[in-house]
Amino acid sequence: MKQIIIDISETGEISIETRGFVGRSCITESQFLKDLLGQELSVQLTPAYYQTTDQKQTVKKHLPLCG
Amino acid sequence: MSHVAKIELEILDLEILKGACQRLNLEFLENQRSYRWYGRYVGDTPLPDGFTAEDLGKCNHAIRVPSAAYEIGVVHRQGKYHLLWDSWHSGGLERVLGPGAGRLKQAYAIERVTQEARLKGYRLCEKQVNNSVQLVLTV
Repeated sequence: MKQIIIDISETGEISIETRGFVGRSCITESQFLKDLLGQELSVQLTPAYYQTTDQKQTVKKHLPLCG
Repeated sequence: MSHVAKIELEILDLEILKGACQRLNLEFLENQRSYRWYGRYVGDTPLPDGFTAEDLGKCNHAIRVPSAAYEIGVVHRQGKYHLLWDSWHSGGLERVLGPGAGRLKQAYAIERVTQEARLKGYRLCEKQVNNSVQLVLTV
């Protein structure tokens, strides 16, 4: 599920957080909010930002060798 | 999570500002060219960026806050709306709207996001978290 969470403090400070997006789509899909509300002061990227949709998942399996 | 951004609010839409006033039970005074304040700049607080002491007291619209003696001036400059007010405690604005008229800015941001979510057909959930309001948009 893709969500955009906007926290607006009583002092008028705003923080926008995106969840469930993969790759750079979080930036483009939340840009409209930044345009509506004002100037972007800072941005912090999270590991999901660097993932790509066609990235192959590697599954590691461990065989029980003892017992 | 994909990213977190901090935003500095700019007031760009007058209709949304009117909606924010309604939300807080403030009275928007369209085309009122002056707002009530101490009447003289005494230098106890810094002037807003780009404004001089001569600009104080003049506005394009004003906002009346019930139970406050002073008013807020709304000044339109270069496509943005600036809020001017006198924070002197006897004026009563800070008591109602918080430091920097933060509650009015908060109400503006809520109104702005709510309207846009409606237009885009996004599901919106609003909840109070301590002194903040959290809006969750499901895309």
